[in-house]
Amino acid sequence: MTTTTPAAGTKTPLIPPSTHRYAEVIHRLEAGGSMLPDTPENLQQIIGIYKAYAVPMDFYWRDLLYIAEQVFLNPLPAFKYFISQEYLDRPCSYSGDQSQLRIWRGGEKAHPELIEFMERGETRRMPKLLHHLWHDRVNMEFAEACMQAMLWHQGMGGRFNDYLASDAYKANADRAIKAYFKGNPLMLGLYKLFPDMVLEQVKQLSYYSNLGLFWEVMAPVFFEMSDLYDEGKLTSVPQAMDFLVNGIFAVAGRPIYHHVFIRGECFEIIPKSEGFTWLYEAALPYVEAVFYRTSPFRGTKSYNAQAGQVPANQADFHYGILYADVFPVGSAGIPPTLLMQDMLHFLPPYLQEMYKTHRRGEEDQLIQLGITFQRSMYNVTSAVIQALRCALLYPLDDSDPEHLTANRQFFEAQMDRFLRPEARLPDIQTQDYR
Amino acid sequence: MTLLLLLLLPLAAGLVLPLLSPSRPGLVRGLAAATALAQLAVGLLACGRQPPADLSLSWLPQLGLSLDLGLDGLSLPLVLLTALITAMAVLASPADQGRPRLYFALILATNLGVVGAFLARNALLFVLAFELVLIPTTLLVAIWGGERRAGAAVRFLLFGAVSGLSLLGGVLAFGWFGQGAAGADTAVSFSFEALAATPLPASAQRWVLALLVLGFGIKLPVVPLHGWQPISYAEAPPPVVMLLGGVVSKLGAYGLLRFGVGLLPEAWSAFSPEIAAAGAVSAVYGALNAVAATDIRRLMAYSSLGHMGLLVLALAAATPMSLQGAMAQVLAHGLIVALLFDCVGLIQRKTGTTVIAELSGLMNPIRGLPFTMGLMLLALMAAAGIPGLAGFPAELLVFEGSWTVFPRATLICLVASGFTAVYAVRLFNRVGFGRLDNNRADWQSTRLAERLPAVVLTTLVVLAGIWPAGLTAWSEASTAAIALCHSDRVVQQLALAPSPSSLSLPA
Repeated sequence: MTTTTPAAGTKTPLIPPSTHRYAEVIHRLEAGGSMLPDTPENLQQIIGIYKAYAVPMDFYWRDLLYIAEQVFLNPLPAFKYFISQEYLDRPCSYSGDQSQLRIWRGGEKAHPELIEFMERGETRRMPKLLHHLWHDRVNMEFAEACMQAMLWHQGMGGRFNDYLASDAYKANADRAIKAYFKGNPLMLGLYKLFPDMVLEQVKQLSYYSNLGLFWEVMAPVFFEMSDLYDEGKLTSVPQAMDFLVNGIFAVAGRPIYHHVFIRGECFEIIPKSEGFTWLYEAALPYVEAVFYRTSPFRGTKSYNAQAGQVPANQADFHYGILYADVFPVGSAGIPPTLLMQDMLHFLPPYLQEMYKTHRRGEEDQLIQLGITFQRSMYNVTSAVIQALRCALLYPLDDSDPEHLTANRQFFEAQMDRFLRPEARLPDIQTQDYR
Repeated sequence: MTLLLLLLLPLAAGLVLPLLSPSRPGLVRGLAAATALAQLAVGLLACGRQPPADLSLSWLPQLGLSLDLGLDGLSLPLVLLTALITAMAVLASPADQGRPRLYFALILATNLGVVGAFLARNALLFVLAFELVLIPTTLLVAIWGGERRAGAAVRFLLFGAVSGLSLLGGVLAFGWFGQGAAGADTAVSFSFEALAATPLPASAQRWVLALLVLGFGIKLPVVPLHGWQPISYAEAPPPVVMLLGGVVSKLGAYGLLRFGVGLLPEAWSAFSPEIAAAGAVSAVYGALNAVAATDIRRLMAYSSLGHMGLLVLALAAATPMSLQGAMAQVLAHGLIVALLFDCVGLIQRKTGTTVIAELSGLMNPIRGLPFTMGLMLLALMAAAGIPGLAGFPAELLVFEGSWTVFPRATLICLVASGFTAVYAVRLFNRVGFGRLDNNRADWQSTRLAERLPAVVLTTLVVLAGIWPAGLTAWSEASTAAIALCHSDRVVQQLALAPSPSSLSLPA
């Protein structure tokens, strides 16, 4: 197991203290900690929200793969959120008896709380279509918004995006498109006339698959963290972060692929043999696109691009959860609200009790849990930063000052991304931010 | 008895309230609210009577003072408005109101004075009631006002005193110059009938009218007599401002209509261009100051000043339609300004401030005050004259009725009225939208009881918008009769005026 905790007994610092604005956070990271301060309440909040996030995530990844592999190019995908039983029962690759690489303890099929919610929703037991129309369901729109952020930003490292422009990918996609539209002269004619349009749809579906495979890992990780906390085995924020770092390294090399099943035949649009791996082609682009960048959500605030309120460079976008203003949560239809509503259904009792004692109690749970989610994602981002440091730089307990300086520069460069006023890093340093 | 009941209810309750136990503030508040609601019910009962009630009791005949009370198309809707807004002001006051016995007793004393003035059919009695209002309102500002309450109360008192004195002077001069000059053997009577029957010389009419305009212009207020208003509205507790803006200021409008247009028509005609100009200046001055305001309460104060300008314009024009518009504006503005200050009061109570620069994101659906802000937006839309809300029929009548007499002033007022949308949008952009300050947003959402006054007032604002007869029908006949007295030119317009409806009362 990899650990980010430095060896005990290091008394005299080998390098001078950082003068960065976030020097305190940097020193904490250098000591193997997280950007999130290590307090019992922070630990309770982030573990509770991981649990609440994991249940809808269990649906997200299954449905993302269902759409990428089964719905595929359906021109009227009205029922794409009506996931088949096969995908609800699809064994998770990383937990359960039938898993390909069992790392975590959870079950292999859809989580029981998810199944129960799909049947009853917030209202009562009724036909699936009514649940869907009443919007009493898991909000897959949020998952699609994340996928679209990854698709739209593209080029965030790795080779995945480049591969989507390759001839091999186009040839694979072409085979799948023709097979899918076989016997459908209208769609085949459309494909003939506008091949790039259909190909673009397939690229998007490849990102569906990418994100689905990413979350297939994260869901059991979060479930297990919740279980460990309940068992008293996770007792600090750094421990929670270390668990994530270890998880990242455990599955870093797992394949990212895109298979499509058309009339029983499997078409490998992105074959596993291409060697795309979970850490570099899914996890890091996801964190960059969703945690940092995304795009301004409609309905929360007006941005005037001509006045320079939207960066000209996509890499400078800063609308992700690490910068998000959570207070507008509650506005209808915006992705953060959709996610918060999903998590609200699965909050553990201890979080519900905590929210009742602060601010407006039950009335503004949606915002309180949004801020908890923000805290938890700072912890996940800390894990990613520590994992990158492990992969690219030096151990925290290294005795070479040059190596420690390199680590310091790496951490400071990461913290530079939070210097902009929208960053919530200063907010999460206190418990008053709720 | 109905008329006496309208006065006795607040009088009796106002005397009983200080005797109640201080440990039961809820009872004090409840009794005050029940009194105002009972007064409203009595007023509504009077609506159905034909002819409306009249009462005349001798009081001090040597001074020409008698207890002449009456209800007509002008006074009845104003009495109902007063009772309603008093009830809403009581309900809008916080449950933990400090020194509740005195506070609610003073509110009822204000109510007593205002209702007394509206019911008075004797000019001296009117002056007495008018003066009575000044005492409790000054105390309400001085005791429960904001940080600058002392200055606000002093200015309020000074302006009020000047207003009262000029009114007293005007009324006394009216009686003495008229009946005294006519050589009446008996004592001078200040009853409206006697004053109307006594023609004043033209020069005397102008002097009397000047005094009355000074008195009522301060109370309304109108530029340049408005010096007390912005600071008083900004410093007084919001429920008190609901009374000041929604009811007390209407005494000025009522007085100008009753005394100026009704009793001194020739002088009114002679001064009307200047009065219309003052109205137009008020409308522009109020609107521009509202645009520049940095505090919501001051913004509302200047907005109110601007809308009083429209009212003054309509009174100056004195056509049947404009007078009908003036009465509609009195009622609509009373409801709207009460709603606005109720919402402002809620914002102040929750956030602790009304400074625009310190507020943002209040439309936030979960952490903000979306309900309050929504109703405030609706009230501002009503003030801007958006169709479907109370302000629209009132302003439409004002503009249509005034256009033929004072087209330029009407045009100016029309433009100034459009500025309502400017400051409303500006206010909402700064206060409603943007990021909610997490450090400040640590308040509980408004409770049902807190929302009740705003809901009632909003309902009436919407109702009056979709059923304008609710604003105009009360006074149709009364205003037409007054306008007829005033100018031959408007006789032709009367033919164009809407026909009286079932709600109309005898003039």
